[in-house]
Amino acid sequence: MQRLDENVLVSTNQSGEPVRFLWRDSNYKVRARPIRWFARRDWWLEASRVQRGVGPGVLEVEIWRMLASEGDNSAKKTQFEIAHSQDAKNGKNIWRLVRVYD
Amino acid sequence: MNGFTHLHVASAFSGHYGVTRPETMAEAVAATGSSALAITDRDGLYGSVKHIGACLKLGISPIVGVNLIILDESGSPIARSVILAHGHNGGKGWAKLCAIVSAAHTSRGRAGQLRKEAQIGIKRSLLAQLLGEDGGCTILLGPDSDVGRAALNGPRQLTTSLLSAWREMFKAPGSLGIEVVSHLTEPGTAYSTDQARAMLQLADSLSIPTVLTNAVRYLEPDDALTADVLDAARHLEPLGLFTPQPNAQAWLKPAILMHAIALEICGEASRALQLLDTTERLADRCRLEPVSDCGWGKPKTPEKSALGIEGNPFEILWQKAHAGIEHYYRGANAALLAQVHHRLGQELITINKLGFATYFLTVADVAQMIRDMKIRSQARGSGAGSLTNYLLGISGVDPIEHDLLFERFLSTERSTLPDIDIDVESARRHDIYRAIFKRYGSNRVTLLSMQSTYRGRGAMRDSGLALGLEDEEIDDIAKNMWRFSARSFRGALETKPELSALAAAVDEDRRMNLLVDITERLDRLPRHISMHPCGVILGDESLLQRTSVEPSGLGLPMSQFDKDDMDPMGLLKLDVLGVRMQSAMAYAVREIARVRGETLDLDNIPRDDPDTFKTIRTTNTLGIFQIESPGQRELTGKHQPTEFNDLTIQISLFRPGPMKGNMIAPYLDGRHGFAKADFIHEDLVPILKETWGVVIFHEHVLRILNVMTGCTLAKADEMRRSLENPRVAPQVKKFFHEKTKERGYSQAVIDRVWEILEGFSSFGFCKAHGAAFALPTYQSAWLKTHFPTEFLAGLFTHDPGMYPKRLLMAEARRLGVKVLPLDVNKSTDEYLVESEGIRLALTEVQGVSENEVARIIEEQPFKDIADFYLRVKPTRRTLERLAVLGAFDSFGGKRRSDEPGDDPEITRGDILARVRQLNAIKNRPASEANQPTLDFQVLERIPTGNAEPTMTEKVAAELSLMKLDVSEHVIELYRPMLEEMGVVNANELVGLRNKSEVLIAGVRVATQTPPMRSGKRVVFISLDDGTGCSDSTFFDDAQARCSNILFNNRLLLISGKTRRTGVRGVSIMAENAWDLREMWEQWSKARPQFRERAAG
Repeated sequence: MQRLDENVLVSTNQSGEPVRFLWRDSNYKVRARPIRWFARRDWWLEASRVQRGVGPGVLEVEIWRMLASEGDNSAKKTQFEIAHSQDAKNGKNIWRLVRVYD
Repeated sequence: MNGFTHLHVASAFSGHYGVTRPETMAEAVAATGSSALAITDRDGLYGSVKHIGACLKLGISPIVGVNLIILDESGSPIARSVILAHGHNGGKGWAKLCAIVSAAHTSRGRAGQLRKEAQIGIKRSLLAQLLGEDGGCTILLGPDSDVGRAALNGPRQLTTSLLSAWREMFKAPGSLGIEVVSHLTEPGTAYSTDQARAMLQLADSLSIPTVLTNAVRYLEPDDALTADVLDAARHLEPLGLFTPQPNAQAWLKPAILMHAIALEICGEASRALQLLDTTERLADRCRLEPVSDCGWGKPKTPEKSALGIEGNPFEILWQKAHAGIEHYYRGANAALLAQVHHRLGQELITINKLGFATYFLTVADVAQMIRDMKIRSQARGSGAGSLTNYLLGISGVDPIEHDLLFERFLSTERSTLPDIDIDVESARRHDIYRAIFKRYGSNRVTLLSMQSTYRGRGAMRDSGLALGLEDEEIDDIAKNMWRFSARSFRGALETKPELSALAAAVDEDRRMNLLVDITERLDRLPRHISMHPCGVILGDESLLQRTSVEPSGLGLPMSQFDKDDMDPMGLLKLDVLGVRMQSAMAYAVREIARVRGETLDLDNIPRDDPDTFKTIRTTNTLGIFQIESPGQRELTGKHQPTEFNDLTIQISLFRPGPMKGNMIAPYLDGRHGFAKADFIHEDLVPILKETWGVVIFHEHVLRILNVMTGCTLAKADEMRRSLENPRVAPQVKKFFHEKTKERGYSQAVIDRVWEILEGFSSFGFCKAHGAAFALPTYQSAWLKTHFPTEFLAGLFTHDPGMYPKRLLMAEARRLGVKVLPLDVNKSTDEYLVESEGIRLALTEVQGVSENEVARIIEEQPFKDIADFYLRVKPTRRTLERLAVLGAFDSFGGKRRSDEPGDDPEITRGDILARVRQLNAIKNRPASEANQPTLDFQVLERIPTGNAEPTMTEKVAAELSLMKLDVSEHVIELYRPMLEEMGVVNANELVGLRNKSEVLIAGVRVATQTPPMRSGKRVVFISLDDGTGCSDSTFFDDAQARCSNILFNNRLLLISGKTRRTGVRGVSIMAENAWDLREMWEQWSKARPQFRERAAG
């Protein structure tokens, strides 16, 4: 297992589940229904403000675990975990690849 | 399927766990159209009454349960489970829930001693026994149960056998269920969908019903941050040192999200629907019908048999009250007697209509019991307005003489149980509690609890702990947090000068920024439950089926409900308040009897003694109840009271309401003839003549409404209450305008009176309350005037006031009452009056144990130091301290050996040397049987040639070991500097011209920041310099100049201008303040002869 923290470009379906993503110039296709959960952050080490109404994003992060394979090669499936959050300023989706299980 | 009922919800009353108040949660649920909501606080029913009340108001069904730890036979926890009461069964479910919760707490206090470390929890076998064959509650096994944990990673066989074990024990229909929860945590961990699914499958295989909850602990995801901080406070560890909650999913999710979770767990729609349906069916079973299930609103008073009466309670009350007329109005003229009979008749009719006869008999019974115990007592509050209370001996104030109204206390327009508060000697309060338990039986009595909430400093301290700040850092910040709500901490940083250092730190230090944010989040959250300082609940035999109880610090059982829960639950609360002044006065009376052989009935002294009022008018009111504060002293100087009613008025005026309502100045102007009293209309003259036209009392408002509109006094009190409520106030306005017009008042009069009534709303004060307070005020002033020595001895012993004891000692010096030094042959655990003065008590010496004090008293008298050493067996520290403070000085004096050439006097230095010899003995005397071989019986030989300590050294020792300066005032140490600087004494201020520039020094005795009309903060600092007290006022500019010492330093030098406030009143408008010791450092550097002087 490899820990990373890299931006990835993710396409989702209508329910918001990732279906494919672009990482290090390669295209990956999600091969099975991804699993979603919520992990937490140690906000006391990172955050600068936690005032009332700051929102759960300071504490919580959505993680998607998925089996995906590069390009059309469906033989070699790898497990990835991608963290999903929203930019506090512009509301844009931020996807970061955090783990790869080789 | 639509809707979803949450069955597992911790409110903020789950101490250091839940985040949201029950009312807020119920409102949120009602707004989404749900029809029911549960509350399941941890370890108790703490929030349940508020929850039920909110649900009733919102028209949804309340459900109540508890979240308890269940233990195995060895006492180890096997589950933390929700237990829900079933409803609509005549109170069976509720009573069982109460019994279960109470049982979970009894293991902590069985021996009458609270064991804090003991776990709150109930053994599974006991739980099964309490539920019995017929059930009444449902236990839910969730993710935190042995079954839930095994379902996550245990072998299937184990999980099945664990669940079977539960099923075997809980056979009553509907008493066991599985609770599945998914907080969408990482797969394979607790509170994950995986776990929920495994539990569901297991339950299905054993055909045990399964419900879905969200194990809620906050309203919204944002609140999860607050929950993190509460977790830290509960663990007493900083964040990062314990396993935190997995994410922010434990919020009160709407139905649509709960349905999605059901689907995610079940994987298919039909099973999901079934899960949701089972949840709703359990919810339906648990909907409570508050009146029939919880006894909601039904008054419960002790049964006649418990009160020892037979027959109709009202007839008995009637007889008792009329018998009181004989006693209290003996020799009254016919007109007064007619008035008494008429009024009593009216009151009794009201009491009978409300069905409160038993209530009054109960309170009278308790009051009689207290009197029989020879304990001073006195009713306070609006109850003093009742003639019935006066005649039953509950209150000591004659409502007819003082013109107090019954309707303010009780009327047929309201049906809530009235509050009668009884003030008693603080030192005897616990004796009274125990006597009440004994008299009525522990099945009818419990103590009341109270929930303390996070406020400024407490919130900051726990926030600091959560962030892992150092203790010193936290202490430094706490020192400067002064009178502001933690909710506006960030705003305060900008405006309060003493927080400027913290404000700068916040700009630079991320942690400080977080500290401010989370402190604001914690503000006002319930913090912990404790014994209410005065409340006792008196009920009937069903009391313990209505409320859960837990052991209090006192060992007696305490209800988990607080004072706001009493009225809704129909519980009778009696406030038995411990008042130190009552103890001090009782002590003075006992000393007067002991020393002078005079018996004194303080409740029957004349209430118009001119000397007593003369004492009060000097403003030397230190030690007098209610009027000793700096503000009250200033007001006394302006007011110059001459009769009892003046005290009632003065006490009532010095309240936040009347101060904000600007009632003081017009009243004083009228009284002193500076302005002509304006009564607006001649009808109001009789009502307002006592206050020169100023409306101060609730009773004034009642009478004005009564006279001008013709309504009853009872109706008038309802209108007075309505005035405080902006929604109904317009109706009162309409009524007032219409009625007064009908009755022929001019528009100008109507408008002006209405303006006053409207402005009055929350500002006024209940006169009965003021009069009840004025009684101990007068009594203490009377004692101070006629028996100052005994009274001061009472004050020293029971410490009733706001000031440090050393200030009262300065007052004793001023009055010429001597405080005698410690003497092991004469000092006890109390301040005894002797012919010379008042003897210091041994209890003042720090580090001397209670046992040592008890042994000294028991073994007195002693013939020499060795005798003391042998019989008391003091610790080395105690022996040395007593010697340093001069407690053995009486063994000194002339030497008993007359060897020629010796110094004839034995000094304290010699005695100390002797004590050190004794302390050097290795084999200290251990017990009577094991006497050391040393021969102590020979004439004690005291070493000679050691110097007597200087006055400076004596005072320094007194201050450090007793926090008292007995030999002379501490300020004397600085005298040379103060004289050179031209510092003025406090007693000289009154002779100075207005606006004189002065310097004043002294020991800080009080710091106050009272509410001000303008909303600006003003700081009052009182200093004592041995000649009296000076009061300085710091406005914004001055606060800024000395912000670093404003709230910190003890010895201060203040510069400012005098300001005359009345005949005898002078205060100082402060310009700046300095640390006196620092100044001394500077000053004495240049004057080496004084260097050592004020080192202490």
